[in-house]
Amino acid sequence: MTLGMPSVPLTVLVLVGVGSPALLLMLLGAASLINRPLSERWTGLLAGSSISLACGALLLAFIVYGMTSTDSRLLSYGAWSTSHDGGIAIEFLVDRLSLAFAVLSTAIAGVVSAFSNRYLHRESGYNRYFVLLAMFVLGMLLVALAGNVAVLFIGWELVGLSSALLVAFFQERPAAVSNAFRVISVYRISDAALLSAAVLLRHLAGSGSLSLLFGGGAGSSASLTTSNATIIAMLLIVAVACKSALLPFSSWLPRAMEGPTPSSAVYYGSLSIHAGCFLLLRAAPLLEHAPAARALAGLLGIATAVFAGITTRVQSDVKSSLAYASLTQVGLIVVEIAIGWYTIAFIHLAGHACFRLLQFLSAPNVLHDLHGLEEAMGDRGGRERRFALLTSDRARQRLFLIALERGFLDSLLDRVVVETFNRGARLLESLDQRLCDLLLPTRPSAALEGSDRDE
Amino acid sequence: MNDAGMWLAGIAALPVLVIGVSFLRVEVEHLRRLAVASAIAMLVAALVIPLSPAVRNFSLHTSALSWIPGGEDVVRVDGLSAALLPFAAGLWLLTVAVTPRASLDQRGLRRTAVTTLITLASFLTESAVVLLVLSAASVWTFLSALADPVHRYQRRVVAMYLGASTLSFAIGVALLVGPGVQNTAFETTGMWLIVIAALIRKGIVPFHAWVPEVFDHGRLGPAILFNAPQLGAYMTVVLIVPRASPEMLRAIALLALGTAVYGAALALVQRSARRACGYLFMSQSALVMAGLDCTSVTALAGGLLVWLSAGLAFAGLARCVLVLEARRGRLDLTTYHGGYDRMPVLAITFLAMGLACTGFPGTLGFVGQELLVDGAVDVFPVMGFAVVIASALTGLAVLRMYFSLFCGRPEALAHPGLRLGLRPREAWTFVALVTTLVGLGLAPRPLADSRFEASAEILKLRQQRVSGGLAGSTTTPIMKRR
Repeated sequence: MTLGMPSVPLTVLVLVGVGSPALLLMLLGAASLINRPLSERWTGLLAGSSISLACGALLLAFIVYGMTSTDSRLLSYGAWSTSHDGGIAIEFLVDRLSLAFAVLSTAIAGVVSAFSNRYLHRESGYNRYFVLLAMFVLGMLLVALAGNVAVLFIGWELVGLSSALLVAFFQERPAAVSNAFRVISVYRISDAALLSAAVLLRHLAGSGSLSLLFGGGAGSSASLTTSNATIIAMLLIVAVACKSALLPFSSWLPRAMEGPTPSSAVYYGSLSIHAGCFLLLRAAPLLEHAPAARALAGLLGIATAVFAGITTRVQSDVKSSLAYASLTQVGLIVVEIAIGWYTIAFIHLAGHACFRLLQFLSAPNVLHDLHGLEEAMGDRGGRERRFALLTSDRARQRLFLIALERGFLDSLLDRVVVETFNRGARLLESLDQRLCDLLLPTRPSAALEGSDRDE
Repeated sequence: MNDAGMWLAGIAALPVLVIGVSFLRVEVEHLRRLAVASAIAMLVAALVIPLSPAVRNFSLHTSALSWIPGGEDVVRVDGLSAALLPFAAGLWLLTVAVTPRASLDQRGLRRTAVTTLITLASFLTESAVVLLVLSAASVWTFLSALADPVHRYQRRVVAMYLGASTLSFAIGVALLVGPGVQNTAFETTGMWLIVIAALIRKGIVPFHAWVPEVFDHGRLGPAILFNAPQLGAYMTVVLIVPRASPEMLRAIALLALGTAVYGAALALVQRSARRACGYLFMSQSALVMAGLDCTSVTALAGGLLVWLSAGLAFAGLARCVLVLEARRGRLDLTTYHGGYDRMPVLAITFLAMGLACTGFPGTLGFVGQELLVDGAVDVFPVMGFAVVIASALTGLAVLRMYFSLFCGRPEALAHPGLRLGLRPREAWTFVALVTTLVGLGLAPRPLADSRFEASAEILKLRQQRVSGGLAGSTTTPIMKRR
């Protein structure tokens, strides 16, 4: 491995890059915890300077190291959880891809932070927003730079939680809260799939180091058989599909638009929705070792692009339309990764993230100018005519209906997963109660109340 | 008695002092202040133990009880108990500091002190007979909390389940201490009876029905204080892990893993916040049990860490529910109650405690669950996947509760001037609890290392017993399995 600069500065630069949003999170979080939030001025200043510092440090690392070296390098900051075997080590895998994505993440987050500072002025949840934004930036950086499964998982979870809590930002609206719960439900599937992949990787390869899989080179993934690599890759694809709203997990995406516009921009326009694509790019060596998983990723990408392309044409509000438009591009990026066009995929990802960020951030102005959501998207009849390519009226109407109902994915999910789960759980619960009643048949009605005295 | 013994006696004297004063004519609020001060003093004194080698290795021997498993050490402080004593003190402090004034009387405060004293004494002994006596005493204390006629049904349910547990424990110990029982069917039967006692006590499926019943319709406060220390886990570590056969441990671990998933899944669909707490407790408690029954040093250390983190986090979460109930009445999870802006500290505490239960990064629970999965994956791969599913479901259950209890449009106040915010005592206690769990989550090394040492000690003891032929008849050397 070659290194274009002394190793200490690179270690320090990456540490500053990751440590700066971590400190911001701790500071803002502690102030919120003791109910003494900082003033808007200080919060905005700290957030802006912290994210800028992170961006500057990582940009410097990218210029000095990324430009001069094509190899990946594992930076280890030592054992964190314990000095014994089996603990979590703080390790970052640094190469062109990870540094570029980290710089992109901080740059976009910096823009959104500056925008939010004015956009959310005097909003009651101003501080809460910046705590969650700091959590998100830290999570994205950990995902980008993760050198082992534990660090990747920490980042993945931070991104997921901050995302759901920002969807519920306007927490007095029941719709926002119930949509946030939907979002976090899908994210938990993603977390579970990623962690299962990690468990399996550790069991089969005997190591949780991502440099084995993500580092590329001849040795990567070699310790895994094709079938093992396929299983791990499939689990990763499930994690990616949930995080990036690929089919069949797309239905949460329009629900996530309940959050404030800057958060929609940074999560579902530019960064969070691409986190899955980035993970697939990182896992490219593993995908190459698992052709079936690669084919599945390609199929999912095509299906998602077509579905989102059709759906975006009939959305009645600008943010949902933009969200599905983003999804179309995400599907295409996944296809590019499945084909093996990694460089094109990353350029597509970066370009699309910046473009969509701009569109999302300007959406409130469009709404303001046109005085309403419907006006911003044109009338429904006009949207139906967008399927004019189809000659049959019936086919056009059907397609319109499917697009309008977003593929009926929500109702399908409700009927197949939620209702089945609820029914099963209720059955088990009634068995629990029956077990008590069986042992003691006389349950007095007063026994159904709790007590006032509960020391 | 040397200085270390005096130190321990001083710690034990603090709850005794509260018990004594509770019999005098003292105002409840004054008694609460004494209890809070005693709990703080106990916590500080207990925190000295891990730092002081003299106290950490203290033991009180007697040859009179040497025929009982662990009987020679009537009082013993080791790596395991060094962390459990501050844990017990912390739970007492949490209880007396945040219990609403309307829910507190002298008998209640006395009961918290008695329960803490029993917990403390249990963590200081490895004698099966002493543990049996203390276990029976703790059940009796819990039953006395359900003495009012309103809770007659729950009292009978608890009496039935925990009575069976105590009886099973007693018969199991009696079979083990008989002469010449080593490597006989008596020993195996005795061990199984102790296992069943621990499973009932910890609410492991299929012995769990009492837990949601007591949490939902019984008294939540005493239920938290009775369950959060997890004396069943202590019984497991001290009596079962060193002696049980691998098959026995595997059976317990499988039941515990099933319970972890079952409890989390049922917590997700509950309508009552109290019942959801009951199922969450089952899930957390089972996760600890699964870790303790895994014969890898790393997994056992993870289990010991989850014990502390889940105990504190669960107690904090359930206490938040009680504090909310004091202001709003019984909490229904099918609607949104709102109120984040009125009680932001409580909302953040609830979320942080819930996330610590799920093993979210940045909390102590994350480190514990990581070690648990990491250590178990080689010897018991299914554990890794079960922990993942349980954690995912627990996370959803906690967030559903958070959204329901703190989000949505707030209910109108009965009186415009009514203040529903936390009292400073409550707020600072919750802040301290969050700081502890997050602080230990961000800098977990000292505690995690101490848990590794404790787990190595436990497995060393097991190794000695296995090679000495004291374990169940079907044992295989533990190191070979690993």
